[in-house]
Amino acid sequence: MQPAFPYRLRGQQLWLSPDRCVYWEEEQSLILSDLHFGKTGHFRKAGIAVPQSVYREDLLRLLCQIQYFRPRRLLVVGDLFHSRENKELALFLKWRDDFPDLGIHLIQGNHDILHESWYAKAAIELSRETLQVGPFSFVHDIEDVQPGEDAQLGKDLAARGDLAAGEDVSPAGGSYYFSGHLHPGIRLRGMGKQSLQFPCFYFGSDYAVLPAFGRWTGTVSIDPAPKDNVFAILPGIMQIQ
Amino acid sequence: MQLKETIGYKTIVTWMAADGRQPFAFQEEAWQYILEGRSGLVNAPTGCGKTFSVFLGAVIDFINRHPDDYRTRGGNGLQLLWISPLRALAKDIGRAMEEVLAGLGMRWQVGTRNGDTDPAERARQKRKMPEVLIITPESLHLLLAQKNYPEVFKVLKVVAVDEWHELLGSKRGVQVELALARILGTRGGSGVSIIGISATIGNLEQAGEVLLASMHRGEGGFIVRAVIHKPIEVESIFPDEIEKYPWSGHLGLKLIHKVIPIIMSSRTTLIFINTRGMSETWYQSLLNICPDLAGAIALHHGSIDMELRTWVEEALHEGKLKAVVCTASLDLGVDFRPVETVIQVGSPKGVARFLQRAGRSGHQPGQVSKIWFLPTHSLELMEAAALKSAMQEGLIESREPMLLSFDVLIQFLSTLAISDGFYADELFRELKQTYCYSEMTEEEWREILHFITEGGEALHQYDEYRKVELMEGGLYKINSRRVAMRHRLHIGTIVSEPMLKVRWVSGGYVGVIEEYFISRMEPGETFTLAGRNLELVMIKDMTVLVRKSNARKSRVPSWNGGRMPLSANLGMMLRRKLDEAGLMLRAMLEGEEPVVDIELRVLQPLFELQAALSYMPRENELLIEQIETRDGYHLFVYPFEGRLVHEAMAALLAYRMSRITPISFSFAMNDYGFELLSDQPIPLDDANVYELFSPDNLTADIQRSVNSAEMARRKFRDIAVIGGLIFQGYPGEYAKARHLQSSAGLLFNVFAEYDPNNLLIRQAYNEVMEQQMEEQRLRNMLERVSRGQMVLRWPKQLTPFCFPLKVDSMREDLSSEKLEDRVRRMQAQLR
Repeated sequence: MQPAFPYRLRGQQLWLSPDRCVYWEEEQSLILSDLHFGKTGHFRKAGIAVPQSVYREDLLRLLCQIQYFRPRRLLVVGDLFHSRENKELALFLKWRDDFPDLGIHLIQGNHDILHESWYAKAAIELSRETLQVGPFSFVHDIEDVQPGEDAQLGKDLAARGDLAAGEDVSPAGGSYYFSGHLHPGIRLRGMGKQSLQFPCFYFGSDYAVLPAFGRWTGTVSIDPAPKDNVFAILPGIMQIQ
Repeated sequence: MQLKETIGYKTIVTWMAADGRQPFAFQEEAWQYILEGRSGLVNAPTGCGKTFSVFLGAVIDFINRHPDDYRTRGGNGLQLLWISPLRALAKDIGRAMEEVLAGLGMRWQVGTRNGDTDPAERARQKRKMPEVLIITPESLHLLLAQKNYPEVFKVLKVVAVDEWHELLGSKRGVQVELALARILGTRGGSGVSIIGISATIGNLEQAGEVLLASMHRGEGGFIVRAVIHKPIEVESIFPDEIEKYPWSGHLGLKLIHKVIPIIMSSRTTLIFINTRGMSETWYQSLLNICPDLAGAIALHHGSIDMELRTWVEEALHEGKLKAVVCTASLDLGVDFRPVETVIQVGSPKGVARFLQRAGRSGHQPGQVSKIWFLPTHSLELMEAAALKSAMQEGLIESREPMLLSFDVLIQFLSTLAISDGFYADELFRELKQTYCYSEMTEEEWREILHFITEGGEALHQYDEYRKVELMEGGLYKINSRRVAMRHRLHIGTIVSEPMLKVRWVSGGYVGVIEEYFISRMEPGETFTLAGRNLELVMIKDMTVLVRKSNARKSRVPSWNGGRMPLSANLGMMLRRKLDEAGLMLRAMLEGEEPVVDIELRVLQPLFELQAALSYMPRENELLIEQIETRDGYHLFVYPFEGRLVHEAMAALLAYRMSRITPISFSFAMNDYGFELLSDQPIPLDDANVYELFSPDNLTADIQRSVNSAEMARRKFRDIAVIGGLIFQGYPGEYAKARHLQSSAGLLFNVFAEYDPNNLLIRQAYNEVMEQQMEEQRLRNMLERVSRGQMVLRWPKQLTPFCFPLKVDSMREDLSSEKLEDRVRRMQAQLR
């Protein structure tokens, strides 16, 4: 396994894992996003033969992360599951049984459409709204944060067209958001018209966007402002800016 | 049975004579074969009676079998199945057939069946099949998806495959092979004649073999040739001044004023343009410089609404149009008699296509087919000279049949599983008789069956894969109605980019446009389609709503459709012309006046500059130029083998050099050559050049070059759609299917990582090797090069040859460096 990359943010110690998640030391929490469990099953049920081993290995990777960081809980910022219930989710339940002491807190994403009772059965705590823990807030899609809800972020969001513009907003005050949804990727260009794209962690002045944990997910290229921090997953972690 | 003694023949000849016509010799020859129940090929160009060579044969046969009541007999069941690649053709062919039947007073019905046929008509056909059914390969497969389909073919006598040369070499051709095998299978392998109708291609015999592979052996196919010599005259349109640094595209429009007198002096002119985007631009430009043409010219390409296209075709027939700007959309089909002149803008890429387009003009007997060649950059003038010589020597391209297209087979198996189901052993024997699948192993067959029933790799107790089910007794069947319905929507092998319909706010369709293009536009912006400036109002329910715009500036859409590479024949001829040009320069230096093509003479200043800065290669030489610019270190190579072979060649060369030292390249290629660009000096010199271009270890080296994965990824898109891995959604139900959408690139990554031996992934790599890279052509090229001379030059500035590559290019990456190192260096360069 590639080593995790230490990153300090608002006085907290974070570890960026090349397996596409963040360990938050003070809270002993593993933060992840966009796992899309059950996606292969959803496709296969419709007669589209995607190899199911993607899903098995996603679960295995998550297991390795849990064994490595030993978190108290998982903070999932949305899209833990891909769609409606299918047999693949039974495998998740079985997997879940192996970690009775692990808390799972899911901030609902647009793909999380299972019945409430199912989350209860899986011992998953579900938040429909933004979740606040210490200096951090957790939300699925940063676009859903209403301007005014957080004055600082509101200004920031109003200023940007997308992640690109990056108006200078002072980092003081307001909560710092962790979000997902976007499946961010960073495109690097070099001489000789070379270009490469990698999934990445994005840390702006007021919010972060996490890479998608599930391997059967694409990336959307982002265009960060110069002062933002971006870490590409190459497969090792590498700070791009 | 002697044709001329039969009552059927006499009836037909009498009927023809009443109109002052008589059959052509090749038609009579074909009729004789049809009476004998034999199968084969009719080799005839469009517009010389090829339809009647088969259709009337079937009619004669019917009259002979029912001499007393052939007029009054109705409801005879399907006698003649007419497979045609274009649904636009169906109407015209059907009309011609109906005229004959009416003239003979027969009660035969002619039906058509394609994507446009309404459900009521289909239902009628199901109850009572017409005697003649004109059908596309896709609709034929849909017919095979109906329960009890063998009933349809019970009394079938003749299957005609029209434009077989167009179908051969494509997956639609494979669909035809599969359908023919199945139809013959329902008839116990005999009793049906299969007759292909093909224009001249380099491998006509093979085309016949492919078509008839499923016929029982010992029945060698016939070939009937229509001997028709129509003289073709080629003339180039020359720029007033030769640009020494050519780049593609822009010169064409500069020459547009020279087109006006040509249009004015002939009755109707067809202007063939290679891309849909350029045809829009041309149409606009023609109107701008000659407003008098408004109303007298039209635009025709594949993305324009069917109704508008049909209107253009009708107007062409009636001679109402002075000129039509068109793309390959008018390559096929019935002839437009009023067309007197054809203009080809830019490279036609192949001899056969050029001939076909030239043949679009001058249909009156005794007339000459006149075609003008208008270059889009000055170097392209060489192609006119090459085409003329190639035509003289009859160097017409072959169409290579597809082999082992597992995606089409997977689709076909699901089709059969919807209707009556199939038994594995029985069907395997049938498939082995086709040309496409004759080399399929039993193991591959088992893999395919496993894929459609189990869905490949799976976690069994947690899996709900459901498609084809293996029933008790060994029948393979699709039982889920949902799966069946989805599959029906999916039948076909033409994979297009995601398209949106374009509609007026006030109603009525304009055409279609790629989602990719329109998604980058904002409401209020304008674009051009079907020769109109349109303002984007909104996108709603997969439809782009537009209104008319008077804006001066408008974006011209680009369509990502496949661009044809230069054919091997034309490439060979180009190398020869270059050789002649080099000789011309040398001779002139000695004060001689050599006799050469006028095009080469006109290009003399360009060749002189090339010779002064670099070198003019002989036919047995390969020129390699290395140039340093602000962008980095360039390596230019000019094999004249077409874009796709160059892409493979570039990947191979880059891979071989990357073994010498860690280095990254980006590639660019066009039909004449390719470029490798790096930020470091390129390790190629006289000492290692022969080794780098060696044909040894070709296959292994190509597979190891990173690029083959990139190319396979692109091929995989079509394969995934045809093989049913990408669900494109129900019509009008865009949103509902969203959880089932996945991009082909992503699927490729998942398969390559988690199921790399998957049949369809293997097929993607095979297609890259065999079709895209044309491994054999690449090997031939390397062998040719290794027997000849390599000429290395280090010009101080860009040369006429390299300029088009530098300016318009399509790039790929290859690297052997560690990813981290490469990224660090890219960053360092950016600072």
